[in-house]
Amino acid sequence: MAKTKVATVWLDACAGCHMSFLDIDEAIIELAGLVEFTRSPITDIKEFTPVDVGIVEGAVGNEDEEEVVKKLRENCKILMAWGDCACFGGIVSMRNLFEKEEVLRRCYVESESTGKGKIPSSKDIPPLLDKVKRVDEVVKVDCYVPGCPPSAKAIKYALEELLAGRIPILPSEVMRFD
Amino acid sequence: MKEITLTINDKEVKGKEGDTVLDVCRANDIYVPTLCHLEGLSSVGACRLCVVEIEGERRINPACTYPARDGMVVKTTSEQLEGYRRMILELIFSERNHFCMFCAQSGDCELQDLAYRYQMDHVRFPYAFPSLPVDTLNDYLVLDHNRCILCGRCVRVCSEVVGTHTLDFGKRGWRTVVCADLDQPLGESSCISCGACVQACPTGAIFSKVSAYKGRTSECQEIESVCSQCGVGCEIKVLVRDNNLVRIDGADITGLRGQLCPRGRFDPLNETRSRITTPFKRDGKGELEECSINEALDLVVKKIKEIKGSYGPGAIAGIATTKCSNDSLERFNRLFRDVIGSDRVDTLDGDSYRVIAKGIASFNGKGLEIECPMEEILEADCIMVVGADPLESHPVLGSYILRAVTKHGAELIVIEPLRNSFAYRANLWLRPEEGTESDLIKGLAHLIADKGLGDLKKAKGDFGKAIEDYDAQKVSKGSGVRADDLELAAEVYGRAKRGVIVYGEGIASESIASLLNLAALTGNSTKNGLRVISLKPNGNSRGAWELGIASRDGFSVDGVKGAYLLLADDAIEDEKLVAQLREMEFLVVQSSYHFPVTSMADVVLPSHIWAERKGQYKALDGGLRKSRRVLKPGKGIKEDSSIITGLMKRLQEKGGK
Repeated sequence: MAKTKVATVWLDACAGCHMSFLDIDEAIIELAGLVEFTRSPITDIKEFTPVDVGIVEGAVGNEDEEEVVKKLRENCKILMAWGDCACFGGIVSMRNLFEKEEVLRRCYVESESTGKGKIPSSKDIPPLLDKVKRVDEVVKVDCYVPGCPPSAKAIKYALEELLAGRIPILPSEVMRFD
Repeated sequence: MKEITLTINDKEVKGKEGDTVLDVCRANDIYVPTLCHLEGLSSVGACRLCVVEIEGERRINPACTYPARDGMVVKTTSEQLEGYRRMILELIFSERNHFCMFCAQSGDCELQDLAYRYQMDHVRFPYAFPSLPVDTLNDYLVLDHNRCILCGRCVRVCSEVVGTHTLDFGKRGWRTVVCADLDQPLGESSCISCGACVQACPTGAIFSKVSAYKGRTSECQEIESVCSQCGVGCEIKVLVRDNNLVRIDGADITGLRGQLCPRGRFDPLNETRSRITTPFKRDGKGELEECSINEALDLVVKKIKEIKGSYGPGAIAGIATTKCSNDSLERFNRLFRDVIGSDRVDTLDGDSYRVIAKGIASFNGKGLEIECPMEEILEADCIMVVGADPLESHPVLGSYILRAVTKHGAELIVIEPLRNSFAYRANLWLRPEEGTESDLIKGLAHLIADKGLGDLKKAKGDFGKAIEDYDAQKVSKGSGVRADDLELAAEVYGRAKRGVIVYGEGIASESIASLLNLAALTGNSTKNGLRVISLKPNGNSRGAWELGIASRDGFSVDGVKGAYLLLADDAIEDEKLVAQLREMEFLVVQSSYHFPVTSMADVVLPSHIWAERKGQYKALDGGLRKSRRVLKPGKGIKEDSSIITGLMKRLQEKGGK
């Protein structure tokens, strides 16, 4: 049987969800026999190729992330959101309480550890969106694994459901928002 | 009450007339989700999670406010209902900041629990991200509007249970927020920091600074005990993790004695004093050095014998806090009166005892048993508070008074020269010049008798004669209280069917006797006594006083050469006494914490704190309370009672008497 192709992306988030994925311990060996990772922060492959499952960690905070998540959507059959940032907006969306300019100024100019600060600007740095969006505000999401980060158990449950051909909905006892 | 029969989810169930649909569901173990409902508070139907389908109704209705009727057919679950409930949760989540990962209440949150239950893995509505303030100005409470779902449980507990009604809703529509008074910061409001709102809050909108992030309920052991910080003796549920206090809750927040106050709920978690963990004795160079309990006790016994030998047993005095349990106090009393043979024994609050005891004795020659149970306050139609600020000294008892006022319109009369947090809540505040309150009370008695609202034959002794001269004009002139206010107070208390008098430490024995006479002549008597309650200073004052520890006829340390101070986890505030103790030839202090007075001692003995003690206490109205051990004491720290017993044995063995 052909391996299930999976791509994962890490957007506006802390990488905790990917860390939690690696926490599934020995199950990863079995999984490696069933799944092929293409583009992912783990494989460090940058190009998008068509996959069965696309996985998103993080919310959408800048123009690059918006493009990445759209490309992933185009290239996958099922899109799964990992973690509170992707599912709900999470911590990274707390900047939505302020204007973008205020956030940049506070971060790069006014922060206590900054001497002579300057808001960076370069064509290589993707501009921030006015507001952080959760993934389903940008593209259609098929299934959600909330948690900050989702537990290894939740991630394993969701992957196993997908491999069994079902759209996962986390049972209450596995679902956590923290 | 009439029984009614309903069909809920195709099953026949019983309820009582007057129940709501939710009451019937809960009584029959039928699950209905709720957020704004809290057992014991009124129902408002704010969250709508309890919506049910009722046959014959065109729309769904909240179960918590819908009256149950005989023959009603109800469905608590259906695809439509579950869909609405999930949608309501999503709407709540989208309204404010409900990101759990940095919330103090995550893991102890009813909103979060419901989201898990309804498998809410995403939200279909855009988030509002309103920018709302966080009020951290109160010493103990944080009010984070961003976490608030406007269920109103805090508002209702504050008005219906606490009675202060500090919290209410401010602003309108989606801008509605919970606010204190006229939108003051909590720390500057009329809030008494009792923390009932913290316990009532289903989310992290109001949380306690001293418990936040210390552990979740599921990680803790829950131990029920009683609070011994004051004489109300509230029932507490203590959450303990790895022998550390995590949180103190009222055992039943809307029940009797379940409300708590900052001293019971928060202060014990904010303990910064340094703990005494071993005995100490003064060495050859005059420094305190650690020693074993046997060395310490041997030295105490040796010194007691020396002093007794040279000066007689009366040169040894014992002073105890009334925070200790009956058991320890009873032994302490025996140690002095029976074993050492000294009657120089007192409690730290002995002066209060003598004032009250003298007042009652001069009324009918009896004791504290004349007072009524605290619960009388809840039934009262008039409460007269004299020389006290119960909200400050005994907040839960203060709440009982406010509850009687707000729930069934009891009249509150305060007689108090100084402005305090209670006086401005009174219907009538009589403000006599200092030192004239006794005359004022006699004046009231005189007026009541004059108006035929009391029977002077029921007063004791020659009280009728004693008040003859106290006519309204004269009393008004002397006390500075307006004559028509006096008239009004006399009318209101005189006409009350269940008038309760509460008095504090601020008044003299003579006034106490007059108050008791006032209650007697107006017929405010119960089966066993009068509707009068004195506010006693400490958790086990009444227990200690009934044991006869405090000397009834005055106490002084004149001529005393050796003293034993059982301080436990109390503090000593009487500077005169501290100065006298400093002059002792030999001083033993048994204390949980290091204080200036322990550094003066020749022998320091460790002592348990409240959470380590188990034993019996007498509440201020005589009710018996039993406390359980909540924390394991440190190694080698023995119970006060066993240390005292150790001393008694040593003294007796070696011919101490």
